[in-house]
Amino acid sequence: MSVEKLKPYFPWITLTMLVLLVGAFNPSFLNPASLVQLVADIVPLFIMALGMTFAIYIGGIDLSMQQVANLVTVVATVYLVQYGIFVAVLCIGAGFAIGAISGWITTRQFVPSFVATLAMGFIALSGARFLSGERALSMNAEARDASFGWMFGNTAGVPHELAIAGLLLAVAWFLQTRTTFGRALKAVGAGELAAVASGLKVDRIKILAFALSGTFAAIAGLMFSVKLSGGDANLANGFLILAIVAVLVGGTPLTGGVGGVINTLVGTLIVVVIRSAMVYLDVDATKQQMIFGIILIVAIAMTIDRSKMRIVK
Amino acid sequence: MAKTLTADKAGTGFSIRRETLVKWAPLLVLIVLCAFFAVMEPRFLSTRNFARILIAASPALMVAIGVTFVIIMGSIDLSMEGTVSVCAVAFAFCFLWLGGTLASWAWLALPFAMLVGAVLGFVNGLIHVKLRIPSFMASLAMGFVGTGLAMVMTGGDRIRIEDALFRSLLTERILGFPLMVYVAGVFLLVAWFIQTRTTLGRNFYAVGGGEDLAIASGLNVNRVRVLGFTVAGVFFAVGALLAVGRIGIAETATGNNFMFLSITAVVVGGTALWGGVGGVWNTLVGVLIVFVIGNGMVVIGLPGYVQDGVLGILVILAVILSTDRKSISFVK
Repeated sequence: MSVEKLKPYFPWITLTMLVLLVGAFNPSFLNPASLVQLVADIVPLFIMALGMTFAIYIGGIDLSMQQVANLVTVVATVYLVQYGIFVAVLCIGAGFAIGAISGWITTRQFVPSFVATLAMGFIALSGARFLSGERALSMNAEARDASFGWMFGNTAGVPHELAIAGLLLAVAWFLQTRTTFGRALKAVGAGELAAVASGLKVDRIKILAFALSGTFAAIAGLMFSVKLSGGDANLANGFLILAIVAVLVGGTPLTGGVGGVINTLVGTLIVVVIRSAMVYLDVDATKQQMIFGIILIVAIAMTIDRSKMRIVK
Repeated sequence: MAKTLTADKAGTGFSIRRETLVKWAPLLVLIVLCAFFAVMEPRFLSTRNFARILIAASPALMVAIGVTFVIIMGSIDLSMEGTVSVCAVAFAFCFLWLGGTLASWAWLALPFAMLVGAVLGFVNGLIHVKLRIPSFMASLAMGFVGTGLAMVMTGGDRIRIEDALFRSLLTERILGFPLMVYVAGVFLLVAWFIQTRTTLGRNFYAVGGGEDLAIASGLNVNRVRVLGFTVAGVFFAVGALLAVGRIGIAETATGNNFMFLSITAVVVGGTALWGGVGGVWNTLVGVLIVFVIGNGMVVIGLPGYVQDGVLGILVILAVILSTDRKSISFVK
């Protein structure tokens, strides 16, 4: 098999090599139960990365996701008792709306998505700080178990979080590969002017892509809030950069049009394996960040497919 | 990241006026903001308050100028948080090791920190160019490495710099403004010199304006790129020195918050993320806009939780106002 044919599988190869490498140093890493738990723990990050995939797939970026998730943790905590399970509708609606506004500002007002989403993130942060009264709130435990208790737990050894993640991945994959909307996303990412010329309603597609990323951010925030049983304007901090890294390591380039949600699955797993490997291999806590960065560079260098990039910017 | 269509209606009186307007829009936004805050609260206009704004803005201005060069080339550099931390910590260790006062050989710590910045930027550029990794990813990962390196060097501790001579950056005032503001001003002029009076500066624009053309005209684009990241690293180091001078502490967290702040400032100032447009004066205006908004909201007494949101709205408005909508077909 030639190298050309292998290229789409580079992220998978990187992942497998990493897992085997860590397993060789510390076989307890390969224990299936702990692997499943490891993966279940990162479901909110994965959901956020899934949403980020849509923004990056069209060549944009969504930097508001972390703040949207923060806002949602607060909204969910404050209104859970009042609305019960329907607070999810409120949360997801808020995420969709914020994403759609970001998309509108980017496409109609010509503000680069980098700035537009960053600024929308600030606005969401304001909302979260106002609504939480600048305090860390905790959820009403009874209402939480009654409405969202099903999110966590095991059925036949499979954590429910994994099932939710799998369902969302299936939805995202279906949207991307089996709908005209998905094809339109690819067209916009691969060449926006060509997409306009071929009669696609590019603005609407882009706004919808950002709305989708906002929606996924909201779902991630909701899961986060239920998991930690509380809400806070800083709860999801630190997830944004990891979500971007997960998408890019998976092989979806910032220029868009290539890659997709399956790549993001692999990317997230690579990021998580690197992070947890450092715990398994007893890397000194102060050195973890530096080693993470170095391995990241190696992983990206191995993963990304440069054949479609004429100029690397 | 975006395509510009041919400038329509070039040559007619109207279009020249419109272009002029767009060019000066960031400055207009800054003036309007200042006027607004001055009307709301006259104390905003005092020298003390302006000194406060400029003190806060000086380190960020240096970092933003550094990243301006990279953005003009059409790349992006997200390593500033790590680089600033490493430079600050390296400076502090070197400074204390050599005697701990500027009056001794310890002044060598200043050029040493800039050298460290240059090396980090150089490595950053090499990873980007030689491994052919997009600069967004390469520099983001280098940022992790930098923050991690600073963490390894300090072990999580804060290092105090108490030398009176070095702290005079903040404490010694001329005409009401501390020395660090003048230092930032000098480096701004240096950056302007690099941008307009050197071949390297013009090459940044050549690469950003159209890489194909730059290659076709015989330019060693990779060399220009690596040099761009190196220059950016030096300016990050100057930003780190000013940040340490301002607070008197060097630690891993010295670099925090510089990333989004500096890139927002660059874009608000009118430098396009897709390269070839803008420059250091734009960045000066952009940094001032961001810090005037931040300071003004405190001065007129807006509650803390509103401030982030208002900053977000104003940033969007500032970019909308300074965008030449008629010459852009789309942005990403």
